[in-house]
Parts: sequence; C-alpha cells; structure tokens
Amino acid sequence: MGMNGIFCALLLCGVVYAAATGQADAAQRALLSGGEEAVGLCLSLAGAYAFFGGVMGLMRESGLASGLARLLHRPMRLLLRFAPGEEAALADICMNLAADMLGMGNASTPAGLRAMRAMADAQPQPGHASGAMLLFLVLNTTSVQLIPTTMIGLRAQAGAAQPADIVLPTLLSSAVSCACGVLLCRLMEAREGARA
Amino acid sequence: MTALLLPALLALCVLSALHARVNVYDAFVRGAGEGLRTLVSIAPYLAAVFTAVSLLRTTGLMDAAQALLAPLLARAGLPAECASVLLLRPLSASAAMGAAAELMAVCGPDSRAARLTCVVCGASETVFFTGSLYLGAAGVRRSRYAVPAALAAYLAGVLAAAQLV
Repeated sequence: MGMNGIFCALLLCGVVYAAATGQADAAQRALLSGGEEAVGLCLSLAGAYAFFGGVMGLMRESGLASGLARLLHRPMRLLLRFAPGEEAALADICMNLAADMLGMGNASTPAGLRAMRAMADAQPQPGHASGAMLLFLVLNTTSVQLIPTTMIGLRAQAGAAQPADIVLPTLLSSAVSCACGVLLCRLMEAREGARA
Repeated sequence: MTALLLPALLALCVLSALHARVNVYDAFVRGAGEGLRTLVSIAPYLAAVFTAVSLLRTTGLMDAAQALLAPLLARAGLPAECASVLLLRPLSASAAMGAAAELMAVCGPDSRAARLTCVVCGASETVFFTGSLYLGAAGVRRSRYAVPAALAAYLAGVLAAAQLV
C-alpha cells in the first residue's frame, strides 16, 4: 500500500529529471550505489542492533517488560472504556503497548494483533470497529517512546557527539502526539455517537 | 549526562535478570540474535530507499523540491531538509530510517535538522502500515476516524518536536 506508488513516483521523477537536465551519467552512478549504501549502513548499525536486541532480551526474560505491562492494566481499563466482552484483550493490549514504549517494535506486533482480534470477536456485528479498538490502534501508532533504540543507533553510527541526547525530546514529543490522539478519538467518537 | 543512559539501562536489566534468576548471558545472546536478524530483514528495504533517495539527491531534484516546500515548513519552525523524512515516516519505517541516515550524512548528525528528524522518527510510527495490519487482522470493514486521528496526532508530535529541538 502507499509506499509502492511513492517509490514509483520518486524513481520515475528522478529519471525524467536526470534526462531533462542532462545528468544521465550521475543518475546511473546513483542508481548503482543504493545497495552498497544500504549494506554499509546495516554493517555500521550492527553494534546498536545487537546491543539493544540483547537488552530487550534481558527485559523480556527478566520480567521487566511484563512488569511495565501490568502497570498499564489499570490506566488502560479506564482509558479504553471497554464494551462488554472486549476486556479479554486487556493483557495483550498492555503487553503490546509496553513493548512499544521500550522500543521492542517487532516483539509487540503479535500481542497487538491478538488483542485486536479478541476485541473484534466481541463485536455484535462482524466487521465493526468499536471505540476501544480504534483508540487502541491510535495509541499504538502514537505510543509514548521511552527508549528510541533505532534512532540512538543511527545517531551513533553517524558520529553524533551524544547519540542518546534525543531521548528526552522524543519522550515529550511522543507524549504530545499520544495525548492528541486520545483527545481526537474521544471527540470523534462523541460526535459520531451524537449523530447516530 | 546522557552518556550514562545506556550503561545505566544495561545495569538495570542485568540486575533485574539476576533477581529473576534468569541466565543473563543466554538471554542477551538470544536478544542480540533477534536484533541482528531484524537488521538483515530491513536491508533490502533500505537498499530500495537509498536507490531512490540518492537518485533524487545527485540529480538535484531533492534540493529543488525542498526549496519549494521550505516556506511552508519554515512557518512551522521546521528546516526544509526534514521534508523527505517527515513525508516518508507514516508510510515506512525503513524508508524514513534510510532518509534520516542520508540527511545526517549531508547536514551532520548534530545539526538541528538531523536532531529534529531523529526525534520525529523516534516519536512516531508507520501509521498506514500499522493501520492496515491491525484493521486487516481484525477484519474491520470501515476504519472510521482511525487514520485521520492518527495522522493528526503525528502532526501534533512533529510540531511539538519543532518547539523542543
């Protein structure tokens, strides 16, 4: 979805622009350098991915991640205002959001999908998305970020003086977008409820 | 000060693993393996993005497009260089990551544009991908206000980042 069209447009625009401005030679060299740049970046990111992967392994197996998930149970129950039957998804919802907050992106998806299916099963009509389901999705895409692992690694390989100095602004910026997401969901849910 | 963050995080994790009587070495190795496998799995996506981005960069089309968008972005307190990452972020994490790496190489990792870009990337998610994945898994037919709300929240995060960095 989405990315396919953008990718085609970027490539075609680039090729047409290069031809129109007589830069075919530069364009050819640029096209052949993409893979090398990607592999080079991956190699220089290997240290960060191994380190953060290891730290995530410790968080998961020591129970730190599930501890954070348990802390989220009560606030999430209040925030999501489950319809009857939806509360079965609570544990998976909290596990998913905790993993997201800790920067364990990939580890969070299975729990998130389980939670979404569990809530979908509780709907009276199939295919309907309840307020709790949509709010969970928005929370997921705006989740508060405690450890922006990928970006710290990216800054370290680029030679930043203090790779981790983005942690606080990232935390605050993600908190703002999360709060806005919750607020918007509430407003739109109320508006649709009033119209119905 | 922030240099202490990662060592402290590691110490916290090691202590809590010891407390839970988990084999620290094994847990770390398992996690590191997962991290490295993730990295290998995103390499082809990065290659695709770099192919497009370096084409746009070397031909000068990127600079032309940024000059066009600059006045609009300046009004929100955003440097023109951030435009590509800001647009790619809701679509693809690896695309945004590749564009951010490219931006840091061009502007320097400690420039305001680079720091701002990193904050935005760290603070946000791939709205379209996550949305289609989750709604698809639940068999939802109408996503109602989910995508507009998520995009507006992303935008709020970007504007907040512009004030914070």
